[in-house]
Amino acid sequence: MVKAFRKERIVWIDLMITLLVLEVMSYFYYGPRSAVLAGMCVSAAVIAEILSLRLMRRKFTADDLTCTSDALIIALMMPPVIDMKIAVLAVLFGALAAKNVFGGRRNMIFSPAAAAYVFVLTSWGRKLLLYPEPHTKTGLFDDPEGLVSSASYIYNTTGKVEHTDFELLLGNFTGPSGAVSILLLAIAAVMLMFRRNISVGAFLGVISGTVLFAAVTPVAGTRAGSVKYSLIMNMVLFASIYIVADRRIAPKREYFAFFYGLFIGIISYILVLTKALENAIVIVSVLLTPFALALKNLEKKIEMADYAERAALRENTAGAADLPEADEKEADPHE
Amino acid sequence: MNNRKTSVFDGILGDNMVLSSLMVISPVIICGDTLKNAEALSYAFTSVTILSMLIASFVPKKLPYTVKIIIYAMISSLVYIPVKVATQEFYRGAIDRIGIYFPLLAVNSLIVLQSEAKFFRMPRAKMFFSLFFYVVGFDIVMLLTGLIRELLAYGTINGRVADVDLPVSGLSQPFGGFIFLGLMCGLYRWIRSLVSREKKEMRSEPYVSDN
Repeated sequence: MVKAFRKERIVWIDLMITLLVLEVMSYFYYGPRSAVLAGMCVSAAVIAEILSLRLMRRKFTADDLTCTSDALIIALMMPPVIDMKIAVLAVLFGALAAKNVFGGRRNMIFSPAAAAYVFVLTSWGRKLLLYPEPHTKTGLFDDPEGLVSSASYIYNTTGKVEHTDFELLLGNFTGPSGAVSILLLAIAAVMLMFRRNISVGAFLGVISGTVLFAAVTPVAGTRAGSVKYSLIMNMVLFASIYIVADRRIAPKREYFAFFYGLFIGIISYILVLTKALENAIVIVSVLLTPFALALKNLEKKIEMADYAERAALRENTAGAADLPEADEKEADPHE
Repeated sequence: MNNRKTSVFDGILGDNMVLSSLMVISPVIICGDTLKNAEALSYAFTSVTILSMLIASFVPKKLPYTVKIIIYAMISSLVYIPVKVATQEFYRGAIDRIGIYFPLLAVNSLIVLQSEAKFFRMPRAKMFFSLFFYVVGFDIVMLLTGLIRELLAYGTINGRVADVDLPVSGLSQPFGGFIFLGLMCGLYRWIRSLVSREKKEMRSEPYVSDN
């Protein structure tokens, strides 16, 4: 039990390191407004967590700091110039309605970040899906100007990407502030996978599903181009690391988690291909939550069956070992 | 097993049919996004349920259960016809906005399930009052949901513009309705637990004489 608690904190620290690196990159492209947005989100998350834990008569422990990584994920999925009130409402929704109403971090059903993103998308979709160009610094209290659609939107609707591979790797294209730094995301994915902080099965499932369908039914002109851009655009890499492969949501067994991720990858790719739905992976990950829950229930049933089988086997062996002794006792009439 | 003493007022707080038993939640979630819809639904639900149950209470109890349920459904379907005509008169356009959930009120779970399980086991006078407060409980939840969702989602109150800085349009959609109802259920349970705790504390306090 103690090990499990420690593990949770270590996972949080590792996630925060990778998220802070992405935030630094966002600061480099969009200036201090991005950092202030992240700070506001993290503060709102901590306050909401403390308040809701107090209402549930629980103490705020170091493990509850996982709310800050969720808040940072939300901030990194938004344009850095979004209205601060919207960002704070999103974080409050994620912490209160998507997490603590269901019993807190030990009974999570949705990824708080994904649920908060869908909430903002349905309420302020236009504000969420317009982004500033990289290297455009907006003042803290200035109204953003010259907002444009993301590179993902252009790719989904035209099948074209007008950026070099180098720009794509460094995140020098329009999109959510943290989900565009592809090189950093790739490094983060490898690091988190090797440290077992994310569900390897779920992550590889999403990548496999997307690659498979991008190769079979390409959005762009060539298959190779389609595979490459399908992984880079629509927050696929970001969401597969921080939302789909979230250990709190994905099934425990890598085999089950792989299929969970695979379905998310395939369905979100089909939505992008047929409906040009921007960032479909986040919506699909929320919609497939019941599937993850069903797989987790199946895992529990398998574990229970295994346990019962082992217990029965142990009883049988113990019974067989006891049997000769009992016979011997019965055979001795002088005792 | 619930050993709690029942009261005719239970339908409002103690055993609210929407917040406690999660009955008739689909119209609340899908159509309870404006106060006008909520008013129309509350009116139709109140009329259909109370009239149908009163008439159905005269159905002989000796009939088989299945036959009785079919008769109740037929009675409520007949009551639905004048109620629909009146709703069209009082709340123009409401039935089109509410859609399929309006006729479905005629076979709501209060008439089809709770009638036999709860209400028709009571004396008729008690049944009437108990049913009335259950319906009032539904109406309160429906109107509150409509009012708050309309204010937050569209920035209006009964169609009049209110000064809302940042409308949350997601609340007007069914998923917003689900979340809102979930939060209301949580709040309801919290209030109920507070009330029951206070009652327990009052009961456990020793009697102290002034003399």
